[in-house]
Amino acid sequence: MPLPADTDASTPKYLRDKYAIVGVGETVYTRGSGRTTRAMGSEAVRNAMADAGLKPGDVDGMLSYQGVDSTFGPMIAGDCAMRLNFYMDVFGGGSSTEALIGIAIGVMEAGLCKCVAIFRSMNGFSQVRIGGTGARSAAPVSGDMLHTRAYGWQSAGQSFAPTFMRYMHDYGTTPEQVAMVKVIHSEHASNNPKAYYKKRMTVDDVVNSRMICKPLHLLDCCVETDNATCIIVTRAEHAKDLRHTPALIRGVVGRCNKPRMDMHYQAGPISRVAGWYAKDILWPNSGVGPEDIDVTGAYDAFTFTTMLQLEDYGFCGRGEGGDYVSSGIMRLGNKRPNNTSGGHLCEGYTHGMNMVIENVRQLRHDIDDSCPIGPDGKRQHTYDYKEGGCRQVKNVEVTANLGWAMPGTGSAMVMRRG
Amino acid sequence: MTNDSYDKPMPEPTPDSAPYWAGLQQHKLLLQKCAGCGRIRHYPRPMCDACYSTDVTWVEAAGRGKVHSWTITHHAFVPGFRDELPYVLATVDLEEGVRMNAQLRGADPVSLRIGLPVRVDYERAREGLTLPILRAEG
Ligand SMILES: [Zn+2]
Repeated sequence: MPLPADTDASTPKYLRDKYAIVGVGETVYTRGSGRTTRAMGSEAVRNAMADAGLKPGDVDGMLSYQGVDSTFGPMIAGDCAMRLNFYMDVFGGGSSTEALIGIAIGVMEAGLCKCVAIFRSMNGFSQVRIGGTGARSAAPVSGDMLHTRAYGWQSAGQSFAPTFMRYMHDYGTTPEQVAMVKVIHSEHASNNPKAYYKKRMTVDDVVNSRMICKPLHLLDCCVETDNATCIIVTRAEHAKDLRHTPALIRGVVGRCNKPRMDMHYQAGPISRVAGWYAKDILWPNSGVGPEDIDVTGAYDAFTFTTMLQLEDYGFCGRGEGGDYVSSGIMRLGNKRPNNTSGGHLCEGYTHGMNMVIENVRQLRHDIDDSCPIGPDGKRQHTYDYKEGGCRQVKNVEVTANLGWAMPGTGSAMVMRRG
Repeated sequence: MTNDSYDKPMPEPTPDSAPYWAGLQQHKLLLQKCAGCGRIRHYPRPMCDACYSTDVTWVEAAGRGKVHSWTITHHAFVPGFRDELPYVLATVDLEEGVRMNAQLRGADPVSLRIGLPVRVDYERAREGLTLPILRAEG
């Protein structure tokens, strides 16, 4: 969709369109990589550099995020023959992708470096599972976890479930409506050769899969995988020398919070998520609104997280999330596809990176599906979204990513085609 | 960890929470009350977010509340809880105006609902550790 005519992109405060994502890369999505996070991380960074057409001396900044389950940036940088002018490894999982892109813009604007590679490398299936099972479950508990883990309340799904249950209670949303998130993402994944799960699912498949923690069935939960991913950000004016049409960054929100992020003790409705607050930064700073967005990347740790975020960012009205996600609007070929890669539910689990990578490729009009490659080296997209077919959305101009850490914390980003 | 058979996460009381855990041993649900402004808060934490006072007194809760939301765990995320599956976890609005989390015991799953009245009960988990549990009222 074209940008509104009254968009003021000259306001220096917002840095609209001044920075761009110029390179993206990843490893294969697998369960049981048999590799170190250092090996995978170096490969993802190398792939993103090759994608952009950057040489080692061109990248002088590095950011990563992790939960004591990865390799520090300087090791990866060394392996990739970079000398860094800036790096930082931060703690965190979901919602970090957009937040770190914002940090990258800030440190480049401050003159600390000129081109930043952001990576996330994780053996999320074979080593440290985010559910907190295995080694993590035996650790003594302290802080606010005294009041969850001691009672058997440990995993992300268990932590978020009361938010989902309360939402269903307040708005009459059905499990069948929410299951459509998985159905649609599985259709998208079937057109993504990289996706870990490529099988198309039905609503019955989802609601008949075994209950993990009410209201989450197995197929409402994302797939834990081993993989590394990388995104390279630099000034937009440098992008013209590089290989691809840049994905210009319109606006970013980083780890925006509800009044209390320790979720079950917070004031106010627990069914409200951080997007309710983040939207007031995202849309004004980006100069667009939900109606201007062609493709969304609403984080799908669970089917519910996609729905709740789309609602609180204003893609539908209060309580209408179930209608929105079950209407088919998010399906390839319809008005506003969501997570065209299959997302965390199907492609693989990256703590948000793959959803941004996917939208960068959508904005290039060069998504990596099975369509034939033409003489110019670009895929000749058919826009036939049948199983195994195309997943390029027609004429994508503006995308939104809605990143999730937990109900109380989220990040977001709007990009446009350069 | 000690060498007994308790294989669930073991709370390590902090200076802020020790009176809470000690109260459970006496079958009392103790809540922090700000000594500066009187606001009650839970879970135990070091500073009042209404007046920034770090001084607290402890008051005994009535032990009654209503279910704000709930979930049933069917999967053994933590091996120590495997024998209890499926178990109900509830977040409850106490009469004192704060929210608490605990397992809800003995309720027929079909009777579970938001707004369900509950009372706090106590269960000895192991030597030196008593946990609060919730029971449906009436
Ligand atoms: Zn106070």
